Formats: sequence, structure tokens, C-alpha cells
Amino acid sequence: MQSRNSKNIPASWKLLDLAERLLVTIWPARLNKYVGWGFLLPALLLVGILLIGLGYIIEYSFHELDLATYRLKAEYSLTNYHTFINRPVYLHILGRTMLASIIVTIITLILAFPYAYMLVRTRSAMMRKFLLIALFLPFFIGQVVRAYGWLIILGKQGFVNSILTSIGLPELDLIYNFQAIVFGLIQYMLPFAILLIIPAITSISEDFELASEGLGANWVSTFRHVVLPMAKPGLVGSFVVVFTLTMTDFAMPEILGGGTSDFIANAIYDSFFQISNPGLGAALSVLLVAIGSIIVTAIFYFAGTGTLGIRQKTR
Amino acid sequence: MRGPVSKKLILWSLVWFSIITMSLPTIIIIGASFTSGEMIQFPPEGFSLRWYQRLWQLDDFQQALLRTFYVSVICTIIAIPVGTLAAIATVRYRMRFQKTIQVYLLLPFTVPLVVSGISMMLFFGEIRILGQLWPVGVALCIINIPFMIWSVSASVNSLDPELENAAYNCGAPPVQAFLTVTLPAVMPGVITGSLLMFILAFNEFLVSLFLTDSRTVTLPVQIYNSVRSVITPDLAAVSVLYIVFALLAIWLLDRLVGLEIFLRSK
Repeated sequence: MQSRNSKNIPASWKLLDLAERLLVTIWPARLNKYVGWGFLLPALLLVGILLIGLGYIIEYSFHELDLATYRLKAEYSLTNYHTFINRPVYLHILGRTMLASIIVTIITLILAFPYAYMLVRTRSAMMRKFLLIALFLPFFIGQVVRAYGWLIILGKQGFVNSILTSIGLPELDLIYNFQAIVFGLIQYMLPFAILLIIPAITSISEDFELASEGLGANWVSTFRHVVLPMAKPGLVGSFVVVFTLTMTDFAMPEILGGGTSDFIANAIYDSFFQISNPGLGAALSVLLVAIGSIIVTAIFYFAGTGTLGIRQKTR
Repeated sequence: MRGPVSKKLILWSLVWFSIITMSLPTIIIIGASFTSGEMIQFPPEGFSLRWYQRLWQLDDFQQALLRTFYVSVICTIIAIPVGTLAAIATVRYRMRFQKTIQVYLLLPFTVPLVVSGISMMLFFGEIRILGQLWPVGVALCIINIPFMIWSVSASVNSLDPELENAAYNCGAPPVQAFLTVTLPAVMPGVITGSLLMFILAFNEFLVSLFLTDSRTVTLPVQIYNSVRSVITPDLAAVSVLYIVFALLAIWLLDRLVGLEIFLRSK
């Protein structure tokens, strides 16, 4: 084809031919069995960078800080892990993080479920669009900006307190405490939870609800015995995501908590940058990953993988 | 939705509570940015654009904004080919260790961000690229790449493999078949994915906090640093910038693929 009358062939065709020949040179036909691997390779390498970094963390976690030189000692030890167990402050932080994660996850799911349900079931296209935009706007605005918004609302001279003082009530301490963090986290997690519940509700045909109501169930028992069980994959998926994201959050406890109620992530940050003990910070990181993995595995084991299921994801 | 009044009342009140909770910070920030006073106050002391004007003169914020653009572009440019190819590979090609690969590719989601940030800080420090700007873009790409793979694989799933076979049968060599059949078919996924990658990188804070210093600080980190000291209304003006970008992204997403794409069942 290229040999005859090459003047009339458009440049884009020539380019394409060149690309084909180039492909044959760098990826001969006998390698065709491995095309999948070739496609996958860049992603594997990219994630590999993270894996190497994790290797460094594990390595660091087994070295004790030498207080004389403020460098990590060369020999391996479990000192950093002992520190975690022996210092009540770290167990206390762990307990607080877990408590917050449970509270945030439960309240978020209670709020997210009706939202997702209404979003799917509403008859009005306008309303659906509005609910979608109200959902995506916070999703696309980062945590720092949103936390800043809450600072303006809840702060000492903030929105709420200006209203209170203007009607003659005393100011309240709304910020820099545990409740503020929980509240900030709930509003941060809502879009994630809703987006993960939506597919589960979409896959429930409204006929099931009709059938249930036709058989005499009121809407509460229809919800309890039909909609909620059928939406379980979505609920499990969003439970796992909200729980793990809360458990590992840094910005909300830092900005809305103001150092009063640190989470594990803040303790890790402080180990590296405040008390300059990278070994301890690394050990805390390893523990955070381990605890998170154990909890997620347990949920998957008892409740199934839900919408996060690996098999569903690809087919 | 059908049903009795009590159902409507209870569900809608919960929905409206969520809407208010999700939108209140945004609305308050917009309101606060137009104040003419020296302090953030409610109600605002009067209307003015002075904080936007001041923003225009603040050099470090402009620099931070430019750097944020730069890392977001790097992140997106890497993510498009890497994520698209990986998505095609995981859905289309039968491979050994398929489950292991999927678990591996989800690592960026399963590893907490604070740990990812420190991991890459240690690694980048070791190979002496910490303190430069481009590795931040690479890092942001790594932590969000599952979003790209997920978006594209949804499109690959709905592409009939027979179309590619038809192209081969008609004599199209591999590159041509890929460019004229496969790629256009997965384009909606690529667009959604790249938009997500860009906007997430543009907002990313925690990993950037570990990888940047005062010379390479990006906008979210800059905002975080300022929030911890004195809260002045110029910060509200910067935040409005983010709100505008978010609205722009939603509009683009709706225009190009339709927001309803997220309503599909799995």
C-alpha cells in the first residue's frame, strides 16, 4: 500500500503506519500473549513507588532513636512498638480515634441513606440535579477549605456566636473540642457515603417496595425488611470507606480540634515533626495500617465485600 | 417517590439537614469574602471587593496557585495513559494473579494518606528529589490513580469486545484499532477520570504537606498554614476560588458525561 503512489496518502496515515511499525519493533507479535501485562506495567511501577516507601516505613519502625545524636540507631529493636503499648497517651489517642470513627460512621450512614434513596427515587429531574450538585460541590472542595468554613461558623466570634450574642445569650465554646471534629468529619464524609450507597439503591427495583406495601407493610417495615437488607452491599461499602477515612484523618482533628483531641494521624505527624522521632512515627504508621486492615478484613469476612467487591468491580 | 406523608416528612427533613450541613460552609465562606471589615464577622460589615483586590496583590498566594496548577497538570497527564491502559488491561485481558493485581492497584486507597505521605517523603528524600515540585505531582497521581482506573474500567465494561474484533477483521492493525475503536469508546471514562484526578490534585492537602516546603508550598497547604495563625478575610477570597473551580468542574462533568452517570447500578 505504501509503495504505490505515496504522494496521495494523507500525512495522518503515514504517521499511523509509522506507529504500527514502531509497535512491531518494540513489541514483536510473539509477545502478544503479554499485551495485558504491557498495558499494566506503568500502573504497577507507579504504585510500586508507594510500596518502596512503605518498605522504608517498616524499616524505620524497627530502629530506636538515639537520644545522644538524635539519629536512629543502626541495630534492630522493638522499642518503638513497646513505647506504643507502654505509654497510655497513645492507647488513649487510639481509643479516641476509634470512638470518633464509630460515631461518625453511624451518623453519616443514617444521613446518607435517605439522601441516596431520595436522589434515586425522586420523580423530579430538577430535584435530582439539585441533589447531585449539592452532593458534588462539597466533594470537589478540599477538606481544608471546608474546615475553614466551619471555623468561621463555629469560631469564637463566628456565625453562631454572633447570633447568640445579638439576642442576648452567652457565647458558646463550639470549636476546638471533640464534638466539633465529629461534626466536621460527618459533613466531610457525607458525599463519599452517598456516592457509595447510590448504586445499591439503583439496583433495587421499586416493584419490591410496591409488593411489600401491597401485602400490607407500612413504609417503616418496608424500609426495615426490604430496602435496607437489599441495599446492604452499598451500606457495607460506605461503612468501610467512611470508617477508614475517619480513622486516618488528619486535617479535621488538627484544624477543628486545635490540638485538644488528636487522632492517630496527628500523633504520627507530631512524632516526625514535633518530637523528631521518625522511628516512633513509623511504628505508629505500621500500627495504623495494621489496625485498619484487621477491621476491614473482619467487616468483609462477616458482611461480605459489598459494593467494594473486587469481582463486581471489573465485570 | 411515593408513600404516606410521614415518610415524605421524615426522609425529606433528613435530606434537607444533609443539604444544609454540606452547603453551609460554602455559603458562609462566600458571604465572608465580601466583607468590608478587617475581621471575619457575621453579619458582614458591608459589601466590598477589597479582599479580592488584596488577593491580587499577594505574591505568595499567586505563586502557590501556580504551583498547584503545575502539580495538578502533572498528576493528570501521568494518570491519563497509565490509568487508561491499566483499566483496559484489568477488564479485557485474562491474566494470572488477577486478584493480586487488583488488590495491589487498590493499595493507594487502602494505605492511609498520612502513611502514604510519609512513605513517599522518606523515599523521595532517599533518592534526593524531595523539595522539587514535580515529584509532588507524581505522588498525587499515585494516591488517586484508583479513581482513574475505576472511571475508565466502567467505560471498558460497557464496550462490546466484538467491535475490536470487527476492526481487526476489516484489516485494521493494532494501533489503528486501538485509536479508532477502543479509545473513542472509553473516552467518557477517560474524561470523568481526568477531571476527578485534576480536581482532587488541586485540592490535595495531606500528602502535599509532607512533600512541600516553604519554597514549593501548594495552595491547600498555604491555606492550612494560614488557618492556624490569623483568620483574615483574604483567606475567604482564596476559598471562593476553590468553590468556583468546583462549580466549574461539576458543570464540565455534567456537560461532557452527565452527572447521572453516577446513578448507575453496579
